[in-house]
Amino acid sequence: MTLLTATFYYMAAASVASALLAVTRRNPVHSMLWVLVLFLHMAGIFLLLGAEFLAAVQVIVYAGAILIFYLFVVMLLDLPDEEAQPRFANHWPFAAAAGLCFATLAWFARVGTGIAPAATRAAVEGPPQGGLAAIGMALFGPFALPFEMASLVLLAAIIGTVVLARKRAVGS
Amino acid sequence: MIVPVGAVLVLSAVLFGIGVFGFLARRNIILMLISIEVMLNAVNLSLAAFSRHFEDLRGQILALFVIAVAAAEVGVGLGLVIALNRNKPGAGVADLTKLKW
Repeated sequence: MTLLTATFYYMAAASVASALLAVTRRNPVHSMLWVLVLFLHMAGIFLLLGAEFLAAVQVIVYAGAILIFYLFVVMLLDLPDEEAQPRFANHWPFAAAAGLCFATLAWFARVGTGIAPAATRAAVEGPPQGGLAAIGMALFGPFALPFEMASLVLLAAIIGTVVLARKRAVGS
Repeated sequence: MIVPVGAVLVLSAVLFGIGVFGFLARRNIILMLISIEVMLNAVNLSLAAFSRHFEDLRGQILALFVIAVAAAEVGVGLGLVIALNRNKPGAGVADLTKLKW
């Protein structure tokens, strides 16, 4: 096992642990901070997968913009800690069994498809890909229409947010 | 090569499961949105893994679009949270029963 493979397994274990902590902490701010840890480790995994631009976007957009937005809203609203009530009734073993069945099914489906032998072997050594130039050429070449549509989606989201969160004038 | 793709896919499935669990188990609407972020990130991870495996950039491009849509979703979702909180302070999903009859 090379050093980089060991790094990957560390990143994987740390992401799973921080994701579990993020969905179980009571205090919303602690939960956010664990999600931040998860996103940074995820960026590291993207780097190991050869997706440098994706890693940069992960850090800048997810950790930098989206999470700060969440933190702003949490602090503005001054949310209380969640009260400890059992969420799942006593039929949760059935739900767990159903999930296990689904996981088994997914495993057999994976074995049944042609992808399976390729997916279990290590990825082939290839030419360096994922460089910024190649992604830029793809985004503004064959993917130009989806790119423009993404900007439209963002514009619609901005307008929707402004309309939703605007303070209505009193009496109107 | 550095990273076995199968292991990345397993990690992605595990993170998606954690996100689903969080979405179902949390009562706070903001933490439910955060669980959705965890799920979207798991999907991005599997897209990047397939992009690596097939030596094809399209997976990464799709992951970029997923991130853009996630940003839009966060904007609208948090705008909704602020509007709800203005009407009724304390953002718990159990209290949002106005549309029930």
